[in-house]
Amino acid sequence: MVANANITACDGHLLKRLAEAGLIWLESNQEKVNQLNVFPVPDGDTGTNMYLTMRKAYEEIAQLDDAHVGNISSAIARGALMGARGNSGVILSQWWRGFAHALQEQPVFDARLFAHACKNAVETAYKGVVKPVEGTMLTVSRQAMEAVAERAQVETNLQSLFETKVEAAYASLRRTPELLPVLKDAGVVDSGGQGWTFIIEGMLRLLRGEDIHMRSVKAVAVQRPGWQDALVPEDEAGYGYDVQFLMKRQEKPFDVDAVRAAISEIGWSTLVVGDENLIKVHVHVHDPGVPISYAIRAGAALDDVVVENMQLQYVHYVEERHKREDTPVEGVAVVTVASGDGLRHLFAQELQAASVISGGQTMNPSTEDFLAAIERLPNDEIILLPNNPNVIMAAQQAAALAQDKQVRVVPSRTIPQGISAMFTYINSREELAHDALADEMNAAMTDVISCEVTTATRAASLNGVSVRAGQVIGLINDVLAVAGDDIQTVARDVLFKAGADKRELVTLYYGQDVTQAEAETLADRLRATFANQEFELVYGGQPLYQYIIGVE
Amino acid sequence: MTSKKIRFVTDSTCDLPAELVARWGIGVVPCFVNYGSASYADDGRELNRTTFYERLPEIRPHPTTAAPPPALAEQIIGEAARDADHVVIITAPAKLSAIHNTMRLAVESLDLQHRATLIDSGSVTIGLGWQVLAGAAEAERSGDVQRVVDVIHRIRPHVRVYAGLSTMEYLRRSGRVNWAKAGVGALLQIKPVIGVLDGEVPQVALVRTFARAVDKLIELARAEAPLDKLALLHANNVAGAQELKERLSDITPPDTMILSVTPVIGVHIGPESLGVAFVSDKWKQ
Repeated sequence: MVANANITACDGHLLKRLAEAGLIWLESNQEKVNQLNVFPVPDGDTGTNMYLTMRKAYEEIAQLDDAHVGNISSAIARGALMGARGNSGVILSQWWRGFAHALQEQPVFDARLFAHACKNAVETAYKGVVKPVEGTMLTVSRQAMEAVAERAQVETNLQSLFETKVEAAYASLRRTPELLPVLKDAGVVDSGGQGWTFIIEGMLRLLRGEDIHMRSVKAVAVQRPGWQDALVPEDEAGYGYDVQFLMKRQEKPFDVDAVRAAISEIGWSTLVVGDENLIKVHVHVHDPGVPISYAIRAGAALDDVVVENMQLQYVHYVEERHKREDTPVEGVAVVTVASGDGLRHLFAQELQAASVISGGQTMNPSTEDFLAAIERLPNDEIILLPNNPNVIMAAQQAAALAQDKQVRVVPSRTIPQGISAMFTYINSREELAHDALADEMNAAMTDVISCEVTTATRAASLNGVSVRAGQVIGLINDVLAVAGDDIQTVARDVLFKAGADKRELVTLYYGQDVTQAEAETLADRLRATFANQEFELVYGGQPLYQYIIGVE
Repeated sequence: MTSKKIRFVTDSTCDLPAELVARWGIGVVPCFVNYGSASYADDGRELNRTTFYERLPEIRPHPTTAAPPPALAEQIIGEAARDADHVVIITAPAKLSAIHNTMRLAVESLDLQHRATLIDSGSVTIGLGWQVLAGAAEAERSGDVQRVVDVIHRIRPHVRVYAGLSTMEYLRRSGRVNWAKAGVGALLQIKPVIGVLDGEVPQVALVRTFARAVDKLIELARAEAPLDKLALLHANNVAGAQELKERLSDITPPDTMILSVTPVIGVHIGPESLGVAFVSDKWKQ
């Protein structure tokens, strides 16, 4: 607990604790933030995105012991930048970047410097967005900053400044529905603004000495596909170390059972065999020093000590797997995003995307995920194809950060748009230079209308459509269009609304929760309704969305 | 230099309308289409193209095409040689059809090597036909075999023939999927746009809808404007060809034609397909 009401300066140590408190308070409240999703669709989890961004930021300082507040804030900003996922995460990372930039030469900050850093943070966040929208995290952080700036004229106590900041943030947050009609219609406040406020509030709670549920930082449930699923370490701290050694008797004989019991307490996957003179120990731990110290204290002489870093082996393995899954291409390479084994295969094999990052609707990839793919590919010219509105900013941030490579973002918002863009890529990649190719791909996205069929996560009334939780809903180009009680009716209605009867080709990408037989039945019914259109059925394997539909 | 009487022989894949064949006295050796248990000559009598394309979707096994019997080629080349000093024979590409070789054998068997010139047009349909017409016009003007050969070689590189397919189905049926391959089309359906150039069939574009395939044909024609010659080709899709012509109305030369495409090509690309053939003005420079 800090609980010292008279703090007037913050050094690196305190900022580290503040960041941790902000992270933990956001984690405790991330579900509340997720619930603020404007659309009743099962994705775009702002709370999760901001939490993962903030967690990466904290990981960057977790091992740092530095009193210099400029160094700590720079490290936080670096982590946030790499971990940024979702548009809210990217804006948050820009906020930290501005905050850190203002403090980089400062060993500590006082009230005035804090106000200055907050101002710079907000300005940087605004610049990070092409068209800043009011009623979002930008507004909330700006109005909180303005209140702090005024208060810092007369107040030197940092806790008092944080109180002003949090109070102003909540006041601003409550006004967000007045600024953004879509929030008002949905009856919610802005989720990004709420997430940001939780971070600041967590910091205040630390300063006040209040409980912030200091429980361990736990992993969020992340839906991962295939081989990655089986491999992800269950333990949050990763795979840890594999430690093996021989305990040799020096004086008194060993009690094998006692040693086994003690080692089991220390780690997992334990194997302890031997006799009173010699014991072989094998154990997985996060800190290899612990079992070794134990053995020494137990009076043993150690031999054949082998320590292997399993986390590194895992990371290398994953890296290798990614490399093997990349598709080598000449010239301009495309890095895209898709969830579902069918869609990933489609992009990688059929459409020649060099790298397909898992994610999209369920899990927004981070800036770092894009950067890793960019760096891994041998190509110098790269196009990023995010296929989701909430992934576009992370892609743009990665494009800005990429070094020694030319990276363009073609801001596809849906899977069908991405596929349209890829057809242009296939047709024109040999004739067009990088920029011209990206422009053509961008233009090709208007060739297709994207529809999605999924299940509403909550009741809502949007765009004149009323939805009950659990109903089937249809979206056209990301906007709620129809609701109903069964998939077939909703699919038909959404296609009519999309004007499919005036188009030529309807492609149904069916998800992991739909059987092929069900999908074929739907396609047959739709063929009967839309007699002049061609229908094709493609296995997408995407989670949550029963159907993603391209109409062209 | 004495002016010679030169006559022309080609094959029925040239898609030349009957009145032009008559006007220039061109000998046309029919190619054959085999299906059911019979073989039909593509001579406008045995095989009606419209009827053929209407029936094509139901014909199983899929029809095949065949070069004419050498005797038939000999007869038509022989007739042309009887009242001419020299015969120029222009054919569909040797890489795509056996007709070129059949013509060569006919010339040898008639012992006409010294007064016959055999040319591989590298093209098909009216892309071949225009080479014949350009040669015939030069022959009438100068009566000089060398100048005839020169003019054909001059126009040839400017002749373009493209087709937009409404389906991949007929390429599959005829075993010519490689005309539109690139690893694409296994999972997502595609409408290929293909061309014929120097006897090769390059894939020009892979698009998702027939409407965009047609857009691509328009784009290809516009890229070469102003045009000296233009023809809209179709496999039983006159309405589609007329629409193509209207969309190109600002660049259509006066003698623009709408042609039903030879079944030798049609069996591969299938009914409903559309095509454009054109020659840029540049060839005359």
